[in-house]
Amino acid sequence: MRRASSINRPPTPDAEVDQEQELSLQEIINIKLIESGEKERLKELLRERLIECGWRDEMKAQCRAFTRKRGRNNVTVDDLVDVITPKGRASVPDSVKAELLQRIRSFLVSAAL
Amino acid sequence: MSVPNDDNTSHSQLSSQFFGDLLDSIIVDVASECHRIARLGLDCNLEEGEEEIRLSAQARVRVADPSNSSEVNSKYVVDIFGQTHPAVANEIFECMNCRRSIVAGRFAPHLEKCMGKGRKARLKATRSSSAAQNRYSRGSPISTYSPYSHSTSVNQLSNGAPGVSGEEYAEGAFEDP
Repeated sequence: MRRASSINRPPTPDAEVDQEQELSLQEIINIKLIESGEKERLKELLRERLIECGWRDEMKAQCRAFTRKRGRNNVTVDDLVDVITPKGRASVPDSVKAELLQRIRSFLVSAAL
Repeated sequence: MSVPNDDNTSHSQLSSQFFGDLLDSIIVDVASECHRIARLGLDCNLEEGEEEIRLSAQARVRVADPSNSSEVNSKYVVDIFGQTHPAVANEIFECMNCRRSIVAGRFAPHLEKCMGKGRKARLKATRSSSAAQNRYSRGSPISTYSPYSHSTSVNQLSNGAPGVSGEEYAEGAFEDP
């Protein structure tokens, strides 16, 4: 939202400085996560945990059931994403979620944010 | 660690946000993989699966059926196209070497004797020059070189085994284009 208002600002040197600060905190953290490689590690960790606890198999079973109903040539990736997302988000085990949140938070702390 | 409340809540919020992003990207991966499997038909669809189970059960019954057993009745085993084949191929055609009528199933042993590996075959090649000339006039490349006016010289060269050197020469010549 703030970026939208900055587009209307006159192109003064001050505006450039302001635009740099327009990067939201989230974006800065995202960049730091990616650059340090931590994001990839976190994703692998999450993927591993979700496979171990059977979450991935559950999601694949949901996809298969949906595909059977629709007919296998009538299915799009978006359909499947829509099918899995609500159930997927809800069925992540608490322990897995806690572990990941803990790791993210310690990253935030160590990045001095 | 004394962390002010604001940082804590914003940290929690941010952490949750990032966790949500990671989870979303993994969900997309899973969906994409399932989509691929669905489209390529790699996953056994339930209806197809039942059909395949039925067909394989039928096939198994057929195989287990003793009247089709290959040990008992090798002549009448039916292949996947429903054809039966006799144990020995029974087409007859003419040997290009000696012009005899040979049964296809006996052609290989016949060729062994007729063309080459045995002692008798080598003797045959040099002795029956009339047959060899007939072969030559018929355009067969196999024995083109043996009657090539070398049969007589071969006989003069080595008394012991005229057939051997002649045949060797013929084979050697044949191999060099």
